[in-house]
Amino acid sequence: MKSPLLKKILLPLIGVVMLGGFAWVVTQQGPMAATKITVTLVTKQAISASVFGIGTVEARYNYRIGPTAAGRVKQVLVDVGDSVQAGQTLAVMDAVDLDARIQAAGWAAERATASIATAAATLKLAQTENRRTTSLVARALVSQSSADTSQQQAAIAQAALEVAKKEQQRLQAEQQALRQQQASLTLTAPVAGMITSRDAEPGTTLVAGQAVLTLADPQSYWVKARIDQSQALGLQAGQTASITLRSAPHQVLSGKLVRIEPLSDSVTEERIVGIAFTPVPAALSSGELAEVTLQTGQKADALVIPNAAIQQQAGQPGVWKINPDNSPQFTPVQTGIHSLDGQVEILSGLQADDTIVVYTSKALRADSKVKVVEQL
Amino acid sequence: MADNTTPAIELRGLRKRYGSGDTAVDALKGVDMRIAPGEVVGLVGPSGSGKSTLLKCLGAVIDPTAGQMLLGGEAIFDEVWKVKDLRTLRRDRIGFVFQAPYLIPFLDVTDNVALLPMLAGKSNKDARRRALELLEALDVAHRAKASPSLLSGGEQQRVSIARALANNPPIILADEPTAPLDSERALGVVKILNDMAQQHQTAIIVVTHDEKIIPTFKRIYHIRDGKTYEE
Amino acid sequence: MISLAARDIAHSWSKYVFTGIGLGLLIGVTLSMAGIFRGMVDDAQVLLRNSQADVWVVQKDTQGPYAESSSLPDDVYRSILGMPGVQQAANVTYFTMQVQHQGKDIRVMVVGFKPGQPGAPPSLVAGRHVTRSHYEAVADVKAGFKLGEKIRIRRNEYTIVGLSQRTVSSGGDPMVFIPLADAQAAQFQKDNDAIVSGRERTAANPAFNRPNVPGLLEAVQMSQTTSHNVNAVLVQVRPGWDAAQVAADIQRWKHLQAYTYADMEEISVKKLIATSAKQIGLFLVILTIVSTAIVSFIIYTMTLGKIREIAVLKLIGTRNSTIAWMILQESIGLGLVGFIIGKTVSTLWAPAFPKYVLLLPLDAVLGLLVIVVVCTLASVMAIRAALKVDPAEAIGG
Repeated sequence: MKSPLLKKILLPLIGVVMLGGFAWVVTQQGPMAATKITVTLVTKQAISASVFGIGTVEARYNYRIGPTAAGRVKQVLVDVGDSVQAGQTLAVMDAVDLDARIQAAGWAAERATASIATAAATLKLAQTENRRTTSLVARALVSQSSADTSQQQAAIAQAALEVAKKEQQRLQAEQQALRQQQASLTLTAPVAGMITSRDAEPGTTLVAGQAVLTLADPQSYWVKARIDQSQALGLQAGQTASITLRSAPHQVLSGKLVRIEPLSDSVTEERIVGIAFTPVPAALSSGELAEVTLQTGQKADALVIPNAAIQQQAGQPGVWKINPDNSPQFTPVQTGIHSLDGQVEILSGLQADDTIVVYTSKALRADSKVKVVEQL
Repeated sequence: MADNTTPAIELRGLRKRYGSGDTAVDALKGVDMRIAPGEVVGLVGPSGSGKSTLLKCLGAVIDPTAGQMLLGGEAIFDEVWKVKDLRTLRRDRIGFVFQAPYLIPFLDVTDNVALLPMLAGKSNKDARRRALELLEALDVAHRAKASPSLLSGGEQQRVSIARALANNPPIILADEPTAPLDSERALGVVKILNDMAQQHQTAIIVVTHDEKIIPTFKRIYHIRDGKTYEE
Repeated sequence: MISLAARDIAHSWSKYVFTGIGLGLLIGVTLSMAGIFRGMVDDAQVLLRNSQADVWVVQKDTQGPYAESSSLPDDVYRSILGMPGVQQAANVTYFTMQVQHQGKDIRVMVVGFKPGQPGAPPSLVAGRHVTRSHYEAVADVKAGFKLGEKIRIRRNEYTIVGLSQRTVSSGGDPMVFIPLADAQAAQFQKDNDAIVSGRERTAANPAFNRPNVPGLLEAVQMSQTTSHNVNAVLVQVRPGWDAAQVAADIQRWKHLQAYTYADMEEISVKKLIATSAKQIGLFLVILTIVSTAIVSFIIYTMTLGKIREIAVLKLIGTRNSTIAWMILQESIGLGLVGFIIGKTVSTLWAPAFPKYVLLLPLDAVLGLLVIVVVCTLASVMAIRAALKVDPAEAIGG
């Protein structure tokens, strides 16, 4: 060593720094170090319960317009997006042989009319013959049997006339049915609305039940939302809702819960609810994803803690309470309302102004040494 | 020298042969010496004369092939060589002063001297007191706490003399103790050795070829070709 | 008697300190290496611990969900809930993917969970738990996300509402927890182009596109894009019931694979890290040998530098054992200085490692014992050299 001063100061200094660092490492970093925690007080405050769900914008009523019988599309007069009035012709089906059949039915009816005339003439002749025979019988000029025969002839002629009349009615009805069928080939709008899809083009052959066009009423748009069954408590028709569309994530639309479907989806374990827009915004897109938040209830004066404080131990929810001697103690709690901003109502287990642990740097045990910090 | 006093050290026909057979070399061919307590003698001889071998035998680090060495009338080499005995012998009964001081660099001046009494089993306190007495006597007490490397050549040599005296041995071997010193300091060292010899009744053998100090010895053993001649 | 070793160390302290720092860094590397291994084991174990499950139910004949892929219908958990001894059973999904964060790709493990059930993030270090059943996420702090940031998983953006710590996959990838329904959709969701071309492919198949069965094509296409599968069901056993018995019952009656915690540990910890353990074990052995060689060399060199002093000490009657003890003390002293520095630096630089480094106190104690043994062995050569020194060397050359 060159200088005793250096030796006297530097050597102990290095020793102190080295041992100090080691001591710091052992006490502050190892298992002997205190667990860092942040704490909060249990407060009394208002808490509002709300539930959150995802749904799609859809029309409440959809009209799928198509022919009643198999046929070929002749004309489609409107396109997707067109607004239509009630009764407006939207599409026409090809009649194929319908006109000819109507004509044939007409002719058959005319022939029936002719048959009626024939029958009427026959009846008239038979009645005249009968009258004559009856008077001759009275004067005993002809036998009673001739009289009976002519009477029977008249009755037969009467029946034949009835048959001919019915046949005419039948053929007229048949023609009427064909005319109606002809009318149904013209597809008209049942209500005013907007065309949302065009599913068939002229020339397409369709079976009965297939749609040519789909019509929806833009005023009937609502959000059909699915709410997780575990959150569905407290849902009631009439509750206010806020709706966020995927296309406008920062714009909150107002709505109202109008329907809770009695059937749940058992596969996805969700309740299905309908939320109406109040009012209905313009230019909605059917099928668009929407987030719905429903206000299901609130309490003005509840014991409230952050949900991060709740830990599960042996399937039992609870919180770590800090005793006055600064030791942690696990306290089971019962929870009530869970608000969407992460607050939880405590029904039992804690009292106002209890100090509880929110965040910990590692799992706590009852014999853990703790050190309260502002932030981890 | 009177024959009736027990000599501090006596050599009788000491021989040392290195190797064996044809290559054997006789370094010592019968050395006789007698030195009384308190006497300072010179040992002078050219290199290759067997001076070094004689010194090692005297220092109890090698064993002679034949002959006897008596310390205070007690024969040393006619027993079976035992390391432990010779180690304690060197520690308690022989002091060494070297050409260079050979102080232990990591011990301070006091502990360099106190180490020997400590090795002999004395308590640290007693050993240090003894060391301080000697340093005082040799006029280096003011450097007692210093590291040996900070001392001047003369001071170091005085500390090494103090170390040689620490266990109050009956004999001190000084190997060229004045070689690195100028004549004034060399004579000073010789004076100290003489004073100490008187004071502690220690026999001191000074191996040297330093012309400056040879005249100061009352008796000088010359060694030549493995044999000593007294002058 | 004074301590010769202490005096020697104090005298040439700078040499000791610098050598000690060098040795300390080497010991630090060794301890870190052990810490990396412990971290790997802990990563695998923490995955199991965080699940808070007693029994894992997975697809039959697989070793899922971590070591192998596994797929179960998502209504299986209901029938498991009905088994005796089952307290809770929850669906869970796991899949690994890359997510973007500030223009960089990060590998994360996306976990789909049911809030308040096994598989949910156990505790947080910031923010809150997920409250909405969609589009909220809790991420591990290691993923680098901040509260309020958005994370894009497949087609949807999730808001980070909470941060957790030590929630990683067995590979050490940070976890991102999202609601189960979203995770189910995301896991099997294809990109939009694939969905569109898939629809076209289905429409071109005459078996599905039958004109006289209206609605069939739509139904088929719908069924192709929804998923009702999960990767595992996590089961908590009622107090007092044996997890192994419950697992055996599930396996027997439900025709599923059920693993207990011990089984999972066997699968995901022991099998997964067996080769890594050997790899790092070998590395530790080499580091120990290198350390021994270095200490040995240093002590030997230092002793050779003191040959003359040792000769003088011997000449003036110092015992051989005293000299050997001095060298041994110096060697162990050097080891202790190295250990203190090594333990300190390894703790200081551990957080800088990208993967978890777990420094167990037990490892440090073991390390200390090994160092003492190594230093003792290392001093043997130097002690032999010192004992061979002839006291005669001090006199007459």
